[in-house]
Amino acid sequence: MTNPTPPVAIEIRDLTKDFPLTLRGVKLRAVDNLTLSIPEGQVFGLLGPNGSGKSTTIKIILGLLDPTVGECKVFGVPSGRVDSRLNVGYLPEAPYFYRYLSGTELVRFYGRICGVPRKRLDDRVKEVIDWVGLSGAAHRRVGTYSKGMLQRIGLAQALVHDPRLIILDEPTAGVDPVGSAEISELILKLKAQGKTVLITSHLLAQIEDVCDRVAILDKGKLILEGDMNDLVGQRGRQALIVDPLTTAQLAELRVWLAERGHTLDAVEQPRARLDQLFLSQVSRAVKGENK
Amino acid sequence: MKSNFLVIRCLRIALVIAVLVVTGWAIRPFEDPAWQVVRAQQPAMKLDSLQGALGQGVTVGLLGGFRAIVADFFWIKTNSVWSDNDLPTTQKLIKLVTVIDPRPLYFWQNGARMIAYDMPNWRIVAGGGYEVVSKEEQRHIDEEQSTVAINYLTEGFGYHPNSALLHIEIANVYLNRLKDMDAAAKAYFKAAQQPDAPYYVARIYGELLRRQGRNAEAYAWLKQLYPTLPRIIEGATTQPSAQELEMGMAPVVLERIRELEKELKIPASLSFKP
Amino acid sequence: MSTTNQAGVPFSLSRLLIVAGNTFLEAVRQKLFNFLLLLAIGLVASAQFFQEFNFGSSELKFISDFGFGAMVFFGSTLTIAATAQLFFSEIENRTALTILAKPIWRTEFIFGKFVGVFAVVGVFCALTTLLLVGLLYHRENAIMALHPDAFEHGRIIHYGDLIVMGVLQWLKFGVLAAITLFIASFSNTNLYTVVMSFFMLVICHLQYLAHDAYAQVASLPLRMLVRVLSYIFPNFQLFNLTDQIGIGAGLDSGLALRVAGYAAIYIAVFGGLAVYSFRSREI
Repeated sequence: MTNPTPPVAIEIRDLTKDFPLTLRGVKLRAVDNLTLSIPEGQVFGLLGPNGSGKSTTIKIILGLLDPTVGECKVFGVPSGRVDSRLNVGYLPEAPYFYRYLSGTELVRFYGRICGVPRKRLDDRVKEVIDWVGLSGAAHRRVGTYSKGMLQRIGLAQALVHDPRLIILDEPTAGVDPVGSAEISELILKLKAQGKTVLITSHLLAQIEDVCDRVAILDKGKLILEGDMNDLVGQRGRQALIVDPLTTAQLAELRVWLAERGHTLDAVEQPRARLDQLFLSQVSRAVKGENK
Repeated sequence: MKSNFLVIRCLRIALVIAVLVVTGWAIRPFEDPAWQVVRAQQPAMKLDSLQGALGQGVTVGLLGGFRAIVADFFWIKTNSVWSDNDLPTTQKLIKLVTVIDPRPLYFWQNGARMIAYDMPNWRIVAGGGYEVVSKEEQRHIDEEQSTVAINYLTEGFGYHPNSALLHIEIANVYLNRLKDMDAAAKAYFKAAQQPDAPYYVARIYGELLRRQGRNAEAYAWLKQLYPTLPRIIEGATTQPSAQELEMGMAPVVLERIRELEKELKIPASLSFKP
Repeated sequence: MSTTNQAGVPFSLSRLLIVAGNTFLEAVRQKLFNFLLLLAIGLVASAQFFQEFNFGSSELKFISDFGFGAMVFFGSTLTIAATAQLFFSEIENRTALTILAKPIWRTEFIFGKFVGVFAVVGVFCALTTLLLVGLLYHRENAIMALHPDAFEHGRIIHYGDLIVMGVLQWLKFGVLAAITLFIASFSNTNLYTVVMSFFMLVICHLQYLAHDAYAQVASLPLRMLVRVLSYIFPNFQLFNLTDQIGIGAGLDSGLALRVAGYAAIYIAVFGGLAVYSFRSREI
């Protein structure tokens, strides 16, 4: 018996997307023969510089654009069909919502569009607003929200119908490190619930922290795809972090390693990541204020 | 492949045009009965004369279906210029308003009144007043303005061929400004022939015949008129309203008939029997 | 391989009405709607001051004409501006992305937008018509007392006809909204949509010239062209069922119904074309 193939959330095959630039047929190829498979239950990062075709790919997955060539299926349904979006939640880049609605009204509106039954709607709206941590501002007009709050209410509207696949397009663009870390935390919670998450982000550190698997696009082409640990972990090498050693102790260590067939390649002072330092300082300051 | 986008776009445009043409063609029989009615009352738009007077912006407004409101604004402007006794501008605006929208009768009616009744007064005052301008000159001014007003009202028949109101206005100008009872009587007679003529028009026509000494004609006219007036008829299933009775003034007409019978010495046996 | 069995998503009137409700709410919270509504109401109400001119009984006819003129002018402006604005605000602010990424048909979205705008224009027409009716009633009572001879056949104003004309104008604005939505569905900017829609408004008011003229054109190809042109555009003059609104001979209700049917057909056709064009629009 072979292991059963894991179920697939998104399947893209030989996908090409051209945009006409002029009536005479000059076109821009945004996605070039892309084949990609995103298994269910994973956090998948789609990376690439600006103009690499990430957003176009996402729009095709959502049925907002038709592929020029190739096919795209979401849970087995062609993405051009309305029912392919039944189990998809989407947070666009730098979302802008109806400013005149309150947070609750906005999430309610999207919940109704998605067909959440009326009986369950109020509870579900409250639940997702609590979940994204916006209960305190739920009755404020969306027009008064900060960028971070907009991202969170955007996440709430994407989750209101309890989708199996959540697509997040640059969810941390323009959000401060605290907000960004909170969004990372929410993504990990979604993963824990067994959801599939497709995320694009410029913050590679964030992608590295939350993603199981990544694909890198450049000029519309897939140039690298794989498991996060496989891609960034350096196999066959190890780093030891110890208290400071004297020069003599270090020399002794080199000899000890050489006797056993190993070499000491680098001696460096380990550095904390700046975002972690920032978060620890900011959270300390907030705690101090609260006291 | 290269020209695919262009071909697809052309096909799409052709499809849209085809759908619209088929809709327009299929809907025409359904539309026509209503359109015949609307078309009959749709006066032609004289764009040449308008464009010079209004400028292109307002002309586009007229074409866009806003002729009523554009005419109304010019009518308000006419009234404001009128209150300044500015004769050339008022006269020009009065004509412009009915060129823009000749449908409302009150433009014709009130415009003619300004021309025939107010403007002679302005001209005489401008000439030094009633004491300075000779009676002959005053008469001449009256005649000139009355002619302008009558010509203007006659133009209105082009758009309102069956309007009693326009005939009445012409009759009033003959009677009140030109003191021409014969012409006034003829105009009242025409007014009385129109379907929307008020009751008083026929009475006045009879009265004018009488004042001209044409008693026999007046008598015949009123005898013919009386049975058409609203009055209480015993045994009839429907009776006219109090207001209709008041407006019809049948008893007054009967009184005139009796007066004329006396004047014409009609024997009692031949007298009118209502 | 996942082949989750998905039920199809049928067309839903309720989703359409949710989009419509949101469009309506957005419109009435916008300054433009309130501004035009106040301006139109102010203009209609200013007809009260026409008594200064001593028009006599013709004042009523003038008020009626002027009121409807104001309604047609501001109503057309509101219809075009609101339709274009409410459509492009979704595209430019990318809220359309969020909505259309949900399980919703583009048909529901487009007709939802239409119904929302149609409701907004309906409120506008209802308010201006009712104000006009109230104003005319008030002035007619006053003038009846002053000049009873002008009312020998009873009241001059047919109030029922005024309301029918208000409804017909509303339907005309409905056709205009559908045309604007169709133009918006393929155009790239709000400004282009507004300008093109005003052109269409003018052309649809002049369509009857082609309608009348084609029989008189001598050359056959030209005659065919004029004929095709007369078929392409709806005839907006048809909605002026009477030259003196609410006054004179009463409206023929059969004809009014016919015109209403004409409007309904064109709303459906232009709405359908808007959906056709919008379905292939890349958001």
